[in-house]
Amino acid sequence: MKLNERSLVFYATCDSPADNAGFLYKRGERHTAYHRRWFVLKGNMLFYFEERESREPVGVIVLEGCNVELCDSAEGFAFAIRFGGAKSRTYVLAAESQAAMESWVKSLSRASFNYMRLVVRELEKQLEEMRCAPADGCRGCQESPSSWKPKPSRPEQSPEQLPALPAVLPKENGCAVWNNAPGVDRAPDSSGCGRHNGEGNPRPPPLPPRRRASSSEAGSTGAAAAESPSTFCRLHERYSQEVARLRQDWLERQRGPR
Amino acid sequence: TVLKKRLVKLVVNFLFYFRTDEAEPIGALLLEHCRITKEEENVFSISFIEEPERKYCFECDSEQQCQEWIEALKRASYEFMRRSLIFYRNEIQKMTGKDPLEQYGISEEARFQLGTHKQ
Repeated sequence: MKLNERSLVFYATCDSPADNAGFLYKRGERHTAYHRRWFVLKGNMLFYFEERESREPVGVIVLEGCNVELCDSAEGFAFAIRFGGAKSRTYVLAAESQAAMESWVKSLSRASFNYMRLVVRELEKQLEEMRCAPADGCRGCQESPSSWKPKPSRPEQSPEQLPALPAVLPKENGCAVWNNAPGVDRAPDSSGCGRHNGEGNPRPPPLPPRRRASSSEAGSTGAAAAESPSTFCRLHERYSQEVARLRQDWLERQRGPR
Repeated sequence: TVLKKRLVKLVVNFLFYFRTDEAEPIGALLLEHCRITKEEENVFSISFIEEPERKYCFECDSEQQCQEWIEALKRASYEFMRRSLIFYRNEIQKMTGKDPLEQYGISEEARFQLGTHKQ
């Protein structure tokens, strides 16, 4: 299957934040010898390099629909990334300390796009509820955006602008889930790190009420119903400028110590 | 350039494409650090930051379908979601004085921080 490898390499090696990085021992596919590799976790992609200074990763593991479990191994501090599907490989990794192992298991368990999406939706819902609170919610919505001063985005860092959401939410890519979940019931992991529910998914944060693409974005309260679609658009436009500004601040801070 | 009919599927931050009668995708595009651009009518393109002149063009059946795809693809990256999360977190914290991520036990994770980012 073709993949835009140059883009993957770019993502692996660019300045965007790594969610975890460090040396891990990776067990070989055919031979059980462990090889020390430099691992970099970005988003839902776990890249590994031959050396820390290598300019390109030698491989990547896409962390969707996987389970992360501790495992017994002579190597010690070992854990496994397991996928469903008959042809899928299980990746066995080992850290160099208990703390490192726990840190990796934690970050890998929460690395999936689906997990992130759940958290974002939950926060989005919380914010919406606060904005649409009766009495003073709508006043907040009509603030002029003059206090927001977006800095020009840097094209070489981030060509994508955050778009204003239309009033009716278009089809999100939230409908398609990476369908790699194991079909068999798995016994719950007793270690506490790789907690799963019966379906084999990592435990997500409390689920928000299901949002359908066709439902009104304004929510169900009377106060919210008074909001016009254009107010909502303005609100999101304002948020997008704030995010751009925050990101700019972050980028500048990253540049500072270097 | 010849346009080929493909089944295109957006799953998390990947855009898979299939020949219309096959079950396995022939390829995928990782949608990080990319730009989605409206081209002529019914057409949008995806280009990547490290190779901006190389455009992957897609022609849709209608302008509406084209807009739907553009909106979905613009929001498809993990990095976009991360920025949204950081923003919402900050916004809620400003309004309530409380960190909304604490209840999930993930408030200390490096990837959700506004400022310094551990590498």
